[in-house]
Amino acid sequence: MKPSVARLLTRLYPRRWRERYSAEFEALLETSQGWRSAANVVWSALRERIITTGGNPMESFTTMMKRPSAFIPVAMSLTALAVLLGSIAIFGVVHETDEGATAHIWQLLMAGQMPVLAFFAIKWLPRAPKPTLCVLSLQAAAALASMAPVFFLGL
Amino acid sequence: MRSTRHVVPEEEPGIGHYSDPPLLVLASLASGPKHGHAMIEDIASICGTRLGPGTLYGAIARLEALSWIEPLKPEERRQPYRLTGEGLRVLRAKLATLQQFTKAGLQRLEAL
Repeated sequence: MKPSVARLLTRLYPRRWRERYSAEFEALLETSQGWRSAANVVWSALRERIITTGGNPMESFTTMMKRPSAFIPVAMSLTALAVLLGSIAIFGVVHETDEGATAHIWQLLMAGQMPVLAFFAIKWLPRAPKPTLCVLSLQAAAALASMAPVFFLGL
Repeated sequence: MRSTRHVVPEEEPGIGHYSDPPLLVLASLASGPKHGHAMIEDIASICGTRLGPGTLYGAIARLEALSWIEPLKPEERRQPYRLTGEGLRVLRAKLATLQQFTKAGLQRLEAL
C-alpha cells in the first residue's frame, strides 16, 4: 500500500487512537496489499469511532472536574461567597474599620485555593490544554463571583 | 467485517477457520515479542487465518488497555509487543478451557 493511502486510511481513526498507534499502524499498512486490507481498515476505523478499544485516555471537562485540584478551588470560592452572603443576610452591609471573622474566613478561603489552582494548572495544562483551560475558566468565574459583592458593596 | 482471510486451503469450506483475534495475538506473542506484520504471518502459519490490519490493531489496542500485552522499544517505525505476566496467565486459562472443550467434544464424537 502506498504511504499516502496508508496515511489517509489511518486518518479515519479517532485522534486519540491515532496519537497512540498511527506511526506503527501506517508502517504495517505499507506492507499490506489489496482492497481487503483497505476495507478491513475502513470497517475497523468506523468501529473504533463507535466502540473505543484503546489509545490515549481522553481527558474531558467532566473527567477533569472530578480531580480534587479542579473542584477544590471552585468549592472554596463558592464557600467564600456563601459565607459573605450569609453574613450580609444576617448583619446587613456593614462597613467596619477593623476586619471581622467573615472577612478573615473569606480571605483564607480565597488565598488558600491559590496553591491548589497553581498545582492544577502546572500539572494539567501541558497534558490536556483544552479541558484544563475550561476548568481554569470555571475556577476564575467562581473566584470573580466571590469577589463581586466585596467590590460592588465596598466591603 | 471481521478480519480474516484464509491462507491455507480449507477442507470443509462451510466451517471456516478459528478466529478470536485477541486470543490469536496472545498465542502469537507466547513464542516471543513480535511487531504487527510478524504477528499476522505467525498467526497465518499457526491457524491459517490472516488477520486484517484493522482487526489486528483492534485486538492489540484492547489487549494493551487490559495490560495483557505491552509495547517494547520501537524498531524504526515498527512497534514490537510482548506478553505481560497477566497476559500469560489469561492465555493459559483460555487455552486450558479450549482444551477441555476440545477433549469433551472429541469424546462425544468417539461415542457416536
